[in-house]
Amino acid sequence: MQVERIKFERTGGFAGMRIAKDLKLDDLPDEQAKTISELLDDLDFEELPEQMMNDSNMPDQFTYTITVETNKGEHTVTTGDASAPEKMQELLELLNRLARNQKKQ
Amino acid sequence: MHKHFPVNCIVPPHILTNIATKGTDGQKNLAISTLKTSEQMRGQRQALSEFSAAAFRVAVGGKERVVYDAKNGSSLPGTIARKEGEGATADVTVNEAYDGSGYTYDLYNEVYQRNSIDGNGMRLDSTVHYRVGYDNAFWDGEQMVYGDGDENLPVSERLFNRFTIALDVIGHELTHGVTQFEAKLTYSQQPGALNESMSDVFGSLVKQYNLQQAATAADWLIGQGLLTENVKGVALRSMKAPGTAYDDPVLGKDPQPGHMKDYVNTLSDNGGVHINSGIPNHAFYIIATELGGYAWEKAGQIWYVTLKNKLTASSKFQDCANLTYQAAGELFGAGSIEQQAVQKGWAEVGLPVDGGGPTPPPSDGGGCLEALLRLVGAAPAKR
Repeated sequence: MQVERIKFERTGGFAGMRIAKDLKLDDLPDEQAKTISELLDDLDFEELPEQMMNDSNMPDQFTYTITVETNKGEHTVTTGDASAPEKMQELLELLNRLARNQKKQ
Repeated sequence: MHKHFPVNCIVPPHILTNIATKGTDGQKNLAISTLKTSEQMRGQRQALSEFSAAAFRVAVGGKERVVYDAKNGSSLPGTIARKEGEGATADVTVNEAYDGSGYTYDLYNEVYQRNSIDGNGMRLDSTVHYRVGYDNAFWDGEQMVYGDGDENLPVSERLFNRFTIALDVIGHELTHGVTQFEAKLTYSQQPGALNESMSDVFGSLVKQYNLQQAATAADWLIGQGLLTENVKGVALRSMKAPGTAYDDPVLGKDPQPGHMKDYVNTLSDNGGVHINSGIPNHAFYIIATELGGYAWEKAGQIWYVTLKNKLTASSKFQDCANLTYQAAGELFGAGSIEQQAVQKGWAEVGLPVDGGGPTPPPSDGGGCLEALLRLVGAAPAKR
């Protein structure tokens, strides 16, 4: 399956600041696009439940919303710091960094 | 967590209470852990509240802290880095979490006679170095968790320092624990913004108490020192002037309102809990500076009693205004300067108190003493 686009939003947190990024994988450096595809593959992203926040009543944690568009359709997952699987941490960290860089430009 | 001994079901709570108060240290510890365990089993909060926090302080030492190191992973709590009574480590972050949770314990214990987060000597656990590039801190329902900020970026691009750097952030997180055990304010919309505001209020009071700073001398900032020098801003929030903490090309502008007319309706951030908290935050600031002196003494006391005894899970801003007004009347007397200050503070943020009782009399130097004298018939009745 071909990942075409990934939309990322992070809200909440102690500072209450929103960051977001809409990425077309074609526009990314090959290396980065490959990493993202691999991380999503590794997670079986399409199989993840849409709602993964098992405790939205956890003060100050971030809420992450990730939408992945592939040649087969799109899938959105909402998760939080405590509920995000360990395997998702690297993806979240990468998307955080990319989202912040965009704001800077 | 706790081991359950058969004795739990045999010895009546009042006898355990006696042992906890009067026994030897060893007996006290056993009795208290038994009481705590049986409390949890039977859900009887009453028996515990009957014996004083002083008994706990003596017997369990009260303040018990553990700082864990997640070593940049996401598993909680991580490995132990410093325990209660141990000396400072080489890691400044560990020491800040340790000291900060201690200062927070001190405010609640010494000023509000509250023994830890749950009122029953709950151990204060913190985890530092959580994940990589984690510019946040949170309360997970059982413990505090702190990230290191943007430590994974080049210095010139960093926006956030480590989150333990600001004492009020530590007080903020622990207060989420207190709220969880008391008002249980739902973390969404206005109840959520009140939950946030309570954390900012007591977070700021922890800092002020630690510095022994009067209300007029305090900076009333939340997260001072947290933003790096790459950011145009002084902190994350300002209780004194909501909306002015930062204005930066990368971070944007501090979105907090300080008045109901600017209330932000949004779905994001659980309905703007970190945004609209600016309104009750500012009311508290006005009241505390109006009263002068140390903010934790009068304004803080009114807020604490309200959090503990009056607010409920679904309370909104107007409820908080009315209930703090009520609490001020009970603590300091109807029409007291304290109650008038509460009324003024809420009115200035667009939340005039309603149904709060009689109109206060003209200022006549009343207050706590006068109310007390009135009560025993030694002062004229209120006009």
